[in-house]
Amino acid sequence: MAGAKDVKNRIKGIKDTKKITNAMYLISSTKLRRAKKSMEDIEPYFYGLQNLMQRMMRHFPETVHPYFKGNEDVPENEITHGFLVVTADKGLAGSYNINVIKETEKLMGKNAACLYVVGEAGRRYFEHRKIPIEGNFTYTAQNPTRARARVITNTFLKDYDEGKINDLTVVFTAMRNSLEAETRTMKLMPLEKEMAEDNIPPDVLREEFIIHPSPKEVLDAIIPPYVAGLVYSALVESYCCEQNSRMQAMSAANDSADEIIQELRVKYNRHRQAIITQEITEVSAGARSGRI
Amino acid sequence: MSEKTGSLRIISPDGIFYEGRMLAVIMPSLDGQLEFLPFHEEMITVIITGELRYQTEDEKWHVAAVGGGVAETANNRCDIYVDFAEKPEDIDKNRARAALERATEQMRQKKSIEEYKISQAALARALTRLRVADRDPF
Repeated sequence: MAGAKDVKNRIKGIKDTKKITNAMYLISSTKLRRAKKSMEDIEPYFYGLQNLMQRMMRHFPETVHPYFKGNEDVPENEITHGFLVVTADKGLAGSYNINVIKETEKLMGKNAACLYVVGEAGRRYFEHRKIPIEGNFTYTAQNPTRARARVITNTFLKDYDEGKINDLTVVFTAMRNSLEAETRTMKLMPLEKEMAEDNIPPDVLREEFIIHPSPKEVLDAIIPPYVAGLVYSALVESYCCEQNSRMQAMSAANDSADEIIQELRVKYNRHRQAIITQEITEVSAGARSGRI
Repeated sequence: MSEKTGSLRIISPDGIFYEGRMLAVIMPSLDGQLEFLPFHEEMITVIITGELRYQTEDEKWHVAAVGGGVAETANNRCDIYVDFAEKPEDIDKNRARAALERATEQMRQKKSIEEYKISQAALARALTRLRVADRDPF
């Protein structure tokens, strides 16, 4: 009977695990919904700032601001790249973490790099590989907030001001469609001074803006929240993907748990049947021997 | 009346705070208060933490505590983008008072310029919230 008992224990164990994976699935789906909601709230603000910035660039193309400076004055091999790597706090989300990490390693190349890692999983990976990461940068990937995005932004803007990094790229994950996620990179600093070509015909009257008090001060006021908005969107986007990957991983786990339970149940039934058959054989053999 | 109103949008990261017609809007700018009336000249300006007042079509004044940001007006449309925007009744006075205390405490300590600036900004936010919470919009 020992064999049957083992099988029964295993079935029970798998059922318990399934309870956990199922709960994780449900939690992820609620978290995903909440994150999407906060993403929608911020959209008008963010796109408004973006438009405003493009308008500023169009009307005052000659504005100089340190955040638009190129890397021309730094030789190619002396550039220190900065990376903001967005990973999850824990695994169990399919290939979500590893994709981001692989992409970062590919981008790092040979140049000196400064890594700002969000999320425990990424931090552990780089620490394990003895790849130096920014030490005071310990932010969780859970429930991204604007405040956190702002603090993160201030950290690397300061490093950028001080010349510790010459550029900054965000490595994050975004949804390609509702099922597939893909790793994306976004160059954040220095800002692209996208010179929208003048498509407006010359005879159209264009508004003349007064900039108060000065273009530089306006840019000073716009740029940090704009960059923080970008960081926030990357954080939320990644968080959504994390939850989505986890949902997929967990539903796969649920499915395979069902499969294993089914297999084990068949095995258990066979085992029990074998025992019963054997008992009958023994009883009838005993009865026969008694008759003789 | 309608030919004398302008459109006003106050947008914060938490969503659109106000969207509608206005007769006037007074906002805190870097060098004092600044008022936009309908058909104001095209302008982009910086807003600092402080109280913002606007008069809606029914000639009522409303007040809000706002964080730093930018305001833009063009073609009789005024868009104000701020860090936060709160109505007086939504302000948590106890929280603001606690924040005020914390900020004053921190400013007394010798810290780096950066930390000082952070405390200073927190102090400005707390003071604004407290002031707006007790305020009648005229």
